[in-house]
Amino acid sequence: MNVSKNVVKLLVAAGTLAIATGAAAQSKGQFTVSVGANMLKPDVTSGDISAPALPHSQGDVSKDTQPVMVINYGLTDNISLESAIGTPYKHKIYGAGAIAGTGQLGTVQALPAIALVQYRFFSPDSMIRPFVGLGVTYAMFQKERGSFAMTALTNPGGGTPTTFSIDNKWTYSGQVGLQVNVTPKWFLNASYIKTKLSTDVHFSTGQYQHMKLDPDSYILSVGYKF
Amino acid sequence: MRKTSFALALLTAAVLTACGGSGPSAGNQTPKTKFSNQITFGDSLSDVGTYAVGGVAALGGGQYTINGNNTSVSPELTGKNYTTLIAAQLGLPAPCAAQTGLQGTASAGFSVTVTDHPECFNYAQGGARVTNPIGPGNKALDKPGAVSLGQMTVPVVTQIANHLKKSGGKFKSDELVIVMAGGNDALEQLGELSAAATAAGGQALAQSLVTQLAPGTANPATGAAAIGAAIQAEAAKPTATPQSIITAAVTAAAQNGSTTAVANAAAIGTTAGAAATAAGNAYSAAHGPDLVKNMATAGAELGALVKNQILANGAGYVVVNNLPDVSISPSAKAQSADTQKLIAAMVDAFNSQLKTAVAGEAKVLYVDLATVSHDQATNPGPYGLTNTTDTACDLTPAKNPLGSSLVCNAKNLKSGDVSHYMFADAVHPTPFEYALIARYVLEQMTVKGWL
Repeated sequence: MNVSKNVVKLLVAAGTLAIATGAAAQSKGQFTVSVGANMLKPDVTSGDISAPALPHSQGDVSKDTQPVMVINYGLTDNISLESAIGTPYKHKIYGAGAIAGTGQLGTVQALPAIALVQYRFFSPDSMIRPFVGLGVTYAMFQKERGSFAMTALTNPGGGTPTTFSIDNKWTYSGQVGLQVNVTPKWFLNASYIKTKLSTDVHFSTGQYQHMKLDPDSYILSVGYKF
Repeated sequence: MRKTSFALALLTAAVLTACGGSGPSAGNQTPKTKFSNQITFGDSLSDVGTYAVGGVAALGGGQYTINGNNTSVSPELTGKNYTTLIAAQLGLPAPCAAQTGLQGTASAGFSVTVTDHPECFNYAQGGARVTNPIGPGNKALDKPGAVSLGQMTVPVVTQIANHLKKSGGKFKSDELVIVMAGGNDALEQLGELSAAATAAGGQALAQSLVTQLAPGTANPATGAAAIGAAIQAEAAKPTATPQSIITAAVTAAAQNGSTTAVANAAAIGTTAGAAATAAGNAYSAAHGPDLVKNMATAGAELGALVKNQILANGAGYVVVNNLPDVSISPSAKAQSADTQKLIAAMVDAFNSQLKTAVAGEAKVLYVDLATVSHDQATNPGPYGLTNTTDTACDLTPAKNPLGSSLVCNAKNLKSGDVSHYMFADAVHPTPFEYALIARYVLEQMTVKGWL
């Protein structure tokens, strides 16, 4: 709760700061905030669940879309920093490979924190500004939930339901995007972010599984320049 | 400068929002289908203690695996059968044997009153066949003078009939029925084939010895009779071996005036032995196809029982485990390549008839344990199996009077870590392998949409 309050304070402060600089177009020293949706879609290459398991027991992870707030700050007229905050992405985990057809085996929430350095083409007052970005991502996983089926497949009748955890990882992301300045203050923002993300799933049975998630992120948002 | 740190503060805020989340938890552990009961028909692979009485219980046994809860030694040594694990996973009471007792040698503790247990629904019995009431371990197969275990070996057809008698002729549509049989139809027939082939080989051995030795005796007619009598006398001894029979024949020939018998004993023995082997192999080759045909019949019979006795009487969920690949078991591996091929053909014949019989039945889940067990033997690593060829139990008579996992426990295991072996004895799984079977059955039930 404190965290949220702090964020609000920061955002208010950001607005104040932006107004103080008196910038009229997105440019050096200017903050922009846009709000929209992000579809996070893992591009899964699953490793096999370690022994004891049916050979090539694998997993798949569903996509999820959540609201997102994209915060941008112009270091120069062409170089900017971007980050985003949002609600956790709720992903369903399905059996795949040898255990395809077993359906949903678990769920997990993902919280990717990202910081990008961007290069924005054209001048700050251009209507259309394509941009590219490169950044760091910290992928956090929480609320990993097992299921009856997961226990049935890993420790049936053992009396201990199977749980799992997914390693949090630092990684990197690349971005391409487009900003359309509809009015001097309002803009539309679209971007695609590809993140390289390999992590490990650890089961309470002592089994593990390597997962290459490499998520694709599709963001659409409407923003305001402060 | 201030603005840069401000941006970092925002990033930090984004990271911090991630905090306060909770860690892993079990989630919903309730199956989609709430089964009211688990009813099992089958053989030793599903038996949860039919013979866990008298002398068997005293020897620390009762199930066909490494008996007893030895999880303090290794977490895998649960002593649990797959039916027990599945019941536990489904939230059902632990299955118990619907009948207990033994009909064998009283002095060994193997004569215990046969008792029905109306509250128990696992009808599977070690030695049980599909329809033939005489399976391995049945008193009808006892050899004179040997200790008899006296397994009841009530066949699956009668197991189902007994349940229907108990349940008013009906299955409930929310009961889980598990069927698994066929192994004893294979083992019993192989045993009979082996005995008959050995007898054919013995005859050929005797014939060859007489033919070779009689002409050298003083009077070939009486010599032949004497040699034949010596062979018969030796063969009747429990200690008889081909070599002892050869020796007896050579001795008889020498006593009847043969001057060359002793000198040529080795060559004569080799010739006779070769004749015996050839005759035995010829017998097996000639009669092997009959076994395959009989297994096909048994498979079709089991399929018909599933349809006409189980489904037709109202069952809603029937798991039909096919016959695992017996040809990869230590029992088969101890036999000739030809016999192993024969066993594989028998398993295939049984399973293909069974599969055909239940094909298209929406309430039947046909679980292909044959393919999985075959894969386990050739590709043990991913399954976590460390050994798929040796037995975990020490089956030497001094350690295991029955030579069976039925009386195997932590006290008569082979030395070293056998917890991840596939086989407890020559045909029966370890608790770890039973757990793999349970997982596979449950996986298939999940794919079927039952869980």
